[in-house]
Amino acid sequence: MRDGVSPHFAIIYQVSGAVIGELMQTEQDTLKTTPNRLHPKQGEVIDRSTTIRFTFDGVKYIAHPGDTVASALTAAGVKVLSRSFKYHRPRGLLCCAGHCPNCLVQIGDEPNVRACMRSVEAGMDVRAQNVWPSLNRDLLSLTQLGSRLMPVGFYYKTFIRPKKLWPLYEHTLRHAAGLGEVDIDTPSGKFDKQYLHTDVVVVGSGPAGISAALGAAEGGAQVLLFDENSALGGHLRFTVPLHSSLPSQVSKDLPELLEALSQQPNVTAFTDTSVLGWYQDNWLCAAKGARLFKIRTKSVVVATGAYETPLIFDNNDLPGVMLGSAAQRLLHLFGVLPGRQVVIVTANEDGWDVAADLQALGVNVAAIVDEREHNACSSPYRDGLANIGVPVFYRHTIREAIGSSAVSGAKIVRLDGRGEIAPATTQVLQCDLIVTSMGWTPATELLYMAGGKSEYSADRAETVPVSTPPGIYVAGRAAGIHAVDSQITEAWQAGSNAATFAGFGEFDELAAQASDISEPRRTSERVCVPGKKKRFVCYCEDVTDEDVETAIAEGYDSIELLKRYSTISMGPCQGAMCSMNTIHLCARANGRTVQETGTTTARPPIAPVTLGALAGQNVEPVQTTPIHQWHLDHGANMMVAGLWLRPNHYGDPAAEAVCVRKQGGLIDVSPLGKLQLTGPGVPKLLERIYTNQWHNLRVGRVRYGVMCNDEGVVLNDGVCAHLKDETWYMTTTSTGATAVFEWLQWWLQSGWGEGVHLTDLTDTYAAFNLAGPQSRTVLEKLTARNLANKAFPYMRIRSAKIADVPCQLLRIGFTGELAYEVHCPSGYALHVWEALMDVGRELGIAPFGLEAQRILRLEKGHIIVGQDTDAMSDPLSANMAWAVKLNKPDFLGKPSLMRISAEGPKQLLVGFKMVDPDVVPAEGLQVVAPEVDGRLKIIGWVTSSRFSPTLEEAIGLCWLPADLASQNGASFTIRMGGDLKAAHVHHGAFYDPSGERLRM
Amino acid sequence: MSIQLIRQAFNGNRPPPKMWRSHELKEYYDVVIIGGGAHGLACAYYLAKEHGITDVAVLEKSYIGAGGSGRNTAIIRSNYLTSEGVRFYNQSVKLYEQLSDELNFNVMFSQRGHLTLAHTDGGVNTMRRRAEVNQIEGVDSRLIFPDDIKSLCPYLDVSDHPRYPILAALYHPPGGIIRHDAVVWGYAHQADVRGVHIHQNTEVTGIKVQDGKVTGVETTRGHIKTGTVLNATAGWASTITAMVGVKLPLTTIPLQACVTEPLKPFLDVVVVSGSLHVYISQTDRGELVMGASVDPFSSYSMAGSLAFLEGIAGHVLELFPSLSHVRILRQWAGICEMPPDYSPIMGFTPVNGFLIDVGWGTYGFKASPIAGKTLAELIATGKPPILIVPFRLSRFEENDLVGEKGAAAVGH
Repeated sequence: MRDGVSPHFAIIYQVSGAVIGELMQTEQDTLKTTPNRLHPKQGEVIDRSTTIRFTFDGVKYIAHPGDTVASALTAAGVKVLSRSFKYHRPRGLLCCAGHCPNCLVQIGDEPNVRACMRSVEAGMDVRAQNVWPSLNRDLLSLTQLGSRLMPVGFYYKTFIRPKKLWPLYEHTLRHAAGLGEVDIDTPSGKFDKQYLHTDVVVVGSGPAGISAALGAAEGGAQVLLFDENSALGGHLRFTVPLHSSLPSQVSKDLPELLEALSQQPNVTAFTDTSVLGWYQDNWLCAAKGARLFKIRTKSVVVATGAYETPLIFDNNDLPGVMLGSAAQRLLHLFGVLPGRQVVIVTANEDGWDVAADLQALGVNVAAIVDEREHNACSSPYRDGLANIGVPVFYRHTIREAIGSSAVSGAKIVRLDGRGEIAPATTQVLQCDLIVTSMGWTPATELLYMAGGKSEYSADRAETVPVSTPPGIYVAGRAAGIHAVDSQITEAWQAGSNAATFAGFGEFDELAAQASDISEPRRTSERVCVPGKKKRFVCYCEDVTDEDVETAIAEGYDSIELLKRYSTISMGPCQGAMCSMNTIHLCARANGRTVQETGTTTARPPIAPVTLGALAGQNVEPVQTTPIHQWHLDHGANMMVAGLWLRPNHYGDPAAEAVCVRKQGGLIDVSPLGKLQLTGPGVPKLLERIYTNQWHNLRVGRVRYGVMCNDEGVVLNDGVCAHLKDETWYMTTTSTGATAVFEWLQWWLQSGWGEGVHLTDLTDTYAAFNLAGPQSRTVLEKLTARNLANKAFPYMRIRSAKIADVPCQLLRIGFTGELAYEVHCPSGYALHVWEALMDVGRELGIAPFGLEAQRILRLEKGHIIVGQDTDAMSDPLSANMAWAVKLNKPDFLGKPSLMRISAEGPKQLLVGFKMVDPDVVPAEGLQVVAPEVDGRLKIIGWVTSSRFSPTLEEAIGLCWLPADLASQNGASFTIRMGGDLKAAHVHHGAFYDPSGERLRM
Repeated sequence: MSIQLIRQAFNGNRPPPKMWRSHELKEYYDVVIIGGGAHGLACAYYLAKEHGITDVAVLEKSYIGAGGSGRNTAIIRSNYLTSEGVRFYNQSVKLYEQLSDELNFNVMFSQRGHLTLAHTDGGVNTMRRRAEVNQIEGVDSRLIFPDDIKSLCPYLDVSDHPRYPILAALYHPPGGIIRHDAVVWGYAHQADVRGVHIHQNTEVTGIKVQDGKVTGVETTRGHIKTGTVLNATAGWASTITAMVGVKLPLTTIPLQACVTEPLKPFLDVVVVSGSLHVYISQTDRGELVMGASVDPFSSYSMAGSLAFLEGIAGHVLELFPSLSHVRILRQWAGICEMPPDYSPIMGFTPVNGFLIDVGWGTYGFKASPIAGKTLAELIATGKPPILIVPFRLSRFEENDLVGEKGAAAVGH
């Protein structure tokens, strides 16, 4: 134990004037000075050799590199940083650790920035949020006058009648709520992601975290060490460790710990990096500014420390009421005095440490208010502080913070034998700073996400971990260990265990057992001092202890209902400041224990994370075909088609369609899904996947097939060719290619994979459809292969060299003309395409796009899956009964289709023509029948429609009731705007119904 | 200003009135409703209010509203795809419009308008199809194009730069958002006032069936005799139904959502994109509430995934590029049970006295009032109201599905 007068006391710092003297002289009028900046001291993170400037609400301030926005403003004497959510009360620095909402500011176009964590940059434009008209004169704070009429959940009980005024009320509510603003001109920004793979992740780099990292690394494990602060060290950066009784091999000194870390090549440390969550199978996520880390690890050490727990008392939200650790951060990291005259409220030795710190650095300690008895205090500073005349009030606590926009005094009261406030014992102390140091809430979010459990220890007034899942270890304050020496030794073991779990060394059962934690109680069970004014439990949402009591009395008595009704812990701090206090209040109001009351579910992200970081580079891939540039060079109008960009047309789609019918055309169909299936099991698989027969398809032949899901709904269609003995080549729709591949994989992996090998060749081959009466002539000029109808008839596949490139030719076509689908290796695609175009041009061949193809296929009555069918369409109803063989042993969708077949389809997909041939009903319009009462009854809908340039009339496909659809020529009406337009059923293809042109 | 609040403000230390009370479990109830969510509580309320059936127990294994009712993204709309769906949800919207007044509890129904974006030709056709069906059924819903979209929602990128440019949108002015918990609490309160017993922390462990008829319910707090049980347990409906030996055509899948920090109001409509699997709205408190399509795999896990957060962030930024600095505050998941046609299953089962209100997939919350009301009528009269006849369980045997996938899959 150290002497009461520590070396601390020998150093007397004074408030610096000289540092800013120069600036004061030159820019005194416009620039705010930094009266609260101390002289330089060891351990500070600011670089005093230069200054940078920024503005806060339009006023210029100076800072040093390393300053946070909050530290620079505090140095300049700014106390009010924000206004509260509901009552617009002034708020100042509370935690100085990024864990509370009190310093949320807008910086440029970025809303809700934690000013205490964000380093100042030159020229930063910092603004207060949610104030009107200004931070210091916020008229919205008048809402406090009506606060009795706005208790918890007031909005549920008012604005109900008259109903028509609700939108107006809502508008007002909305505009009074919200914090920062989104700037519509915010640029997209640069974000990225990095994957990390490691043996052990240690979260938190306090003494426990560093020690755990060292312990794990020594075992041989690769360790990643994360800390949300700008430097490693945790609380050692701003506290002086006491109670030194460490074994000699472990240092309690931060420089030595950091030195050991720097000698350890197995540890990689990440500062300014918040670990956001634990997901299944040790999949962690962390963010550092614009970068998201996705981390797979074998084990995790949770050394996340603890949140200092605020005390609830009258006006406890007044600027100048601060947590002990916040005061220490300001002093030691930034050389900033948080106040000049302080009242310290405590119930543990930590508060005395803060008192000694503040006293040594020039703050006048007006009083130490300790709720314990005199003899319960074992602080080494006790006698020293008393000797230099610091007033100490044992068995006292604070009743109220006095002041309007900042602390000007503190009312303290004596506690009686039962711990209740003794009447008529109030004293008023002058001060501009009230520091509370009442204890700690372990930061257990990560532990809980990973499945760990804690129990509340009434002795210690803290939760203590009682079970951790395999591979998850807890160390330091998160494990309820507060003394630095214990933190270091226990964490070393935790790190070592984590390394063992990750496969390094033998597991030592004895060493793995956590030693008994026998520490003095650090945390007060008193969370709230009753009074007469507002006492805030939740700073984010302005919820008071009375609100909590009211909510519980109203019936919102479980912790989850209380949370949802009061919105406690649902604000930006996510419960860091309020969860433990809320549980205490809830337990007390219900007459239950803290353990029985339980806690709310911990949910990622632990620290708020930007959409930008989560999205990363946000690359939505655009797929282009190998001849994309050719299309662009030839005036193609491109359209988004699933993942692909494809030519919609090259200027005149109708002319393109006519050209195909008259001479011929060439379309790039490279996005077609192309799958190669090999192996003896393929025919059996095809029989199960498709609705028609496949075992009898001979080599060299092509067949059309439809795929259904279990419900008999059409999933996809396409052709499949039998290339050679055990090799098959399947094509799918362009937009369905990925889905079909996944669908097949699913079945292959679910028991149907025997003897089948599946390869996706979609990108490997380009494909072009050469269609039209001249297509054979064109192709003959480029190949030696006999293309005569007899040698290469319809629905066959042949290998051939086209322009010297080995290709597969499929004699199929969606357009209804003689057509060849040329599949060639992607790398030769442009060569083949240009060869076809060069030869074809002389014969009147032109490129055509998707629109022309849609016209052409509609003229033939071919359906497009997903356009003419929807999530309910079966092939029997969708006019494809010919492709369904219900007498097959089994296939996907058979039971459903059997039932539909037995009962007969209720709706059928059928062609139609308009009575007025110039009227094209838009796709999606409804087929209606007027009812007796004049209302319209929907009986069907239009799925496809075009004006046919070949037939020179409007044609289409639609769903109709089966009885109507089965009568060729039957009339029906389509609702177009306010009118009903007459149409009639058309059976068969509109163009070339006998299909002669296909087989030419 | 409500009298209630003024009274509360000046009543000194007297405790405020309880929203609902705790009761001992009775030996017998006329009706037992399993599931203390918006559906179950609404049904209890309408049973008591409209049919005088007050001997009702609502059994909730956790706290009221703990399931889907408190986990959904609180979007209300009626712009469905089928006539059956549109009629049903339209009645729901109408009940929601009167709900604050009816329950004397402000459920904050904000009819701010609902946009479903179309990014492809096919999407435009689907939106037109829905608009047409909606209009024929008397629901305000129409196809609008980028200029109008921009004026309703200036932060949306309607240029042709995005990967999936916005071509059109289905605009549904009566659609909007609501305070979902308030719906639960409001129904609970008014049911309690009328004598319904709400039993929280009471889990059903078994259902007694004799000769094909329900006779009682086993719970963690004891046995209840009853002849009528309604299963209104959404994500757990198939497990409860299995207790009476009935199998339902349902798949259990998690659905995830997340919320951002509060922001000043800038988004005045609900925006949905099926292609980008995202729906987004800004609450009255200023947070953005966002959801996506259901998870790719069946599960009962409510842990939430990183993949969801990454995906939704990318898609939201695709639509709203200026939101890159906006921070996600928390994510959560709920459990959905999806029927093959994306329409609910309501009414009788082969077990006499065992009724179901299940298959609510990703669209259950918006139907709470009408589901409660129609089921109350069914229980009271024994006759299915016309609105829910299409949703009967037997439709799966009769090949008479109500295909709502096109409007319900991501279309919150």
